[in-house]
This record gives sequence, structure tokens and C-alpha cells, in this order.
Amino acid sequence: MCLVLDDVSFAYPGGAVILEGASLTISQGGYYLVRGPSGSGKSTLLRLLCRLEEPQSGRIVYQDTPVSEMEPARLRRTVAYVQQMPTLLKTPVRDNLLLPLQFKANSGLEPPDDGMLNRMLDSFLLDGVTLDAMADSLSVGQAQRICLIRSLLLRPEVLLMDEPTASLDAKSAQVVLDKAAELSRDGMTVVMISHSETTPEGVTDIIRINGRKLEFA
Amino acid sequence: MSVSPAIIEISPWQLLLCLGFVLLAGGTSIYHRLGLGRDLFVGTIRTFAQLFLMGYVLKFVFDVQLSWLVLLMFTFMVGAAVYIIKGRVSEKSVPFLMPTFISMLLTYTLVTYVVTAVIVGAKPWWTPQYFIPLAGMIVGNSMTAISISLERLFSDLKNRRAEVEMRLALGADYREASQDILRDAVKAGMIPSINSLMAVGLVSLPGMMTGQILSGTDPLIAIRYQIVVMLMIVAGTSLGSLLVTGLVRRRCFSAGQQLIVR
Repeated sequence: MCLVLDDVSFAYPGGAVILEGASLTISQGGYYLVRGPSGSGKSTLLRLLCRLEEPQSGRIVYQDTPVSEMEPARLRRTVAYVQQMPTLLKTPVRDNLLLPLQFKANSGLEPPDDGMLNRMLDSFLLDGVTLDAMADSLSVGQAQRICLIRSLLLRPEVLLMDEPTASLDAKSAQVVLDKAAELSRDGMTVVMISHSETTPEGVTDIIRINGRKLEFA
Repeated sequence: MSVSPAIIEISPWQLLLCLGFVLLAGGTSIYHRLGLGRDLFVGTIRTFAQLFLMGYVLKFVFDVQLSWLVLLMFTFMVGAAVYIIKGRVSEKSVPFLMPTFISMLLTYTLVTYVVTAVIVGAKPWWTPQYFIPLAGMIVGNSMTAISISLERLFSDLKNRRAEVEMRLALGADYREASQDILRDAVKAGMIPSINSLMAVGLVSLPGMMTGQILSGTDPLIAIRYQIVVMLMIVAGTSLGSLLVTGLVRRRCFSAGQQLIVR
């Protein structure tokens, strides 16, 4: 077992209840798709897993340790979350990719050289993007892939992706889906929100949010 | 301080003559139907009442020369400033009054102490004639700076939530996730006092210097005091804004490094 939600309830302050007594077990190395209607709490589920939100009751456990007992920065480096809207600083691509290495919690990581960064860009079909290009000149689709690479450079054990292909053309979207399947095969746990009706290759389970509960489809 | 022997005193009758200005403003309000008559009336009464009250309080404090009374009055001034800041800042979900009060009290005590004890050389350092007006000027000016800084801090944390959470999700702690926002908030609060450094003497004649000159002080002495005051205000606003925004920022994040301002 990798991540366990045990009887979790969550509501935004002054807002509707999103999850109520929800339980779920996510296995190590699995490739999960999260589906549900808009506003059902798909993004909230990912935010709970990396503890950007705190459940009102119940507990979330990562590798037998409640996430509330883990040091937040260590948890988030291990359980990486890629936001739905790509967020980059108005600085060169290189600075954006290396941003996490400025944080104390990541100081033990070896900074990748330009060669490695370029190989990462190539592997996500970003060979037209240079490391010196300003991030605010990129398309949304390119920015989304930069955000994904930035998270992968932290070498996480779990990757949470909030609709990573929503802004991508079919070819680029396929690259991201193939990459997700490859990462899962290599042992990384991948949890991805998708509105697409088709199920990408390699997906091991589909999580549905139904009536404030979580269930496997 | 050299004081001219010929200070022209304003008699109660001369003071009442000033009401002519208020009547003029009231007449304008009635003629143009501005609806400001009531505010003007209340404002005039309050000006008289508050300033006379302050005059008598100051006279009493100056006469008795008690250090604890001076510091009590200073604490009251800081408390009043915090109350005004509370009204100016729209965010109500983060408790910021106590950290603001403590930061202002500590910072301004330190800055005013340096000015009275080291620069002016007043003995003792809490001599009310020096400590209270100087501390009052720091509190009054930095109150605006702190309001601006706090308002900017809260609005940026809300508007730039995605950026803050991006950093948190990549392993940043709350300080690393909001360092740009803190910097912008402190800067926004400091800009007015820095602008006043540029404009002083060219665009405006500061109230304190004008007051000293009117009461007979040599303008060359008055400007020295004004320079001390201007620099003291810059120090007070920058230290105050930095400390207040730093402490309040901590309260915008939970122990689990989550941004709780929405």
C-alpha cells in the first residue's frame, strides 16, 4: 500500500462538503485515473494527498505514516503535485526548472546540468524550447510540460497530475500519457485527473468520485 | 533651542474667530447641497474637544514627569493606531492585531529611544516633551505604512495563490513560498515615506518644522529636527512594516504549511 485515505471528510470553509467518510487505497506503482463531474472534488483529492488541504476528519497515510506526521516539504517532494493551470515565474526556462533546488528541503539534490535538462525537454517533445527562453513566452501546453519536468526533477515516488493533457494537442498529450505509463512501469505511482472518455494505455485503475465517496470503477 | 521672546499667543476669542472658516465651508456645503454640514459640524466639535483634551493631558504628563506615565501614553497611542489599522485592512480571517501591536510597540520604542537618547541627547531618554511628540510622529506615519503593507500582503497571498502553492508543492516552506510577496508588501508600505523624503522642502513644509518656526524656533534648528524626524520615520516604517508583515505572514499559513487565506 502506498497511499491510504481512511474515512476522510473534507469541506472548504463556508463551502459545500466535498468528501464525506471517503476511503481509498492506492498501491505502489499503480497508474490511476481520477474521474468525476466538474466540481465533484477531483482536484481536492489530489490536494489532500499532498497535504495542501487538511481533512476535517479521517486520516491520510503514506507508506504507513500519517501525512499529518510527516514534514510537509518532505511529503511534497515525495508526493509531487502538478497543478491544473501551469504556474511558471517570468524568468528563463532553466531558472523555472531549477527553482525547487533553491528550497532548503531540496538542498541535498544534485542540480542537473544543461545536458540533462535538454534531454528532458526533448523527451517531452519540447525540442523547440531553449533553456534561455523566457517562460512567459511559452504556450500553455509547453508551460504544462515544463511544470511536469520540474516536478520530475525532484525524483518523486508519487506523481499527482491535475488534467495534464487538457491544454495539449493530441501528439503532445500522447507524449505525456506515454511518459506517465513509463514512470508507472518504472515503479512510480501516478494519479491523474482526466476528463477524457478514453482510458490511456497502462492505467491500472479508475477512481470515481461518486456522492462524496471514492470508489474504483 | 533658541526661542524668540515674541511668540504671538492665540486668545480664545481669536480661536473662535476661526469658526468663520467652518461657517464658510458649511455655507458652501448648503449652497451646493453637498450634504456635508453634519460631518463638518461634528468634525469641528471633535477637533476642539480632542485637541484641548490632548493639550491638557500633555500638560499634565509634562508637569508630573513620570516615566511610566509617558510609556503608558505611548502604549495607548500604539493601541489606537492598531485599532485604526484594523478598520483599514479588509481581511478579517487572520488574527493580526496582537502581532501588529507587539511589533509596533517594540520597534517604535527602540527607534524613539535611539532618537531621544542618542541623537537628541535628552536626559532622561523618556523626557515627555521629546519622547511623546517624536513617538507620536512615528506611530502616526507608520500606521499608514503598516495598513498598506498588510492590505498588500493579504491581497497578494489571495491573488497569487497558485504561485504560492506551486512553491509549496515543490517543497518550499511558507517563507520560501511567499518571500516575493512579503518583499512587495514591505516595499509598498515604505514607498510613501521615501517619496516624502524626496518632496520635503520642495513640495511641502512639514507640520512639525512649521510648528517650531511658528513658536519662534530658529528655522536652521527646526530643519535639523525635521531631518531627524524624516529619517526616524523611514526607519520606523521600514522596521515596523517588516516585523508586522513577517509575523502576520506566519499566521496566513497553517502548521502543515498550507495557505489558509482564501
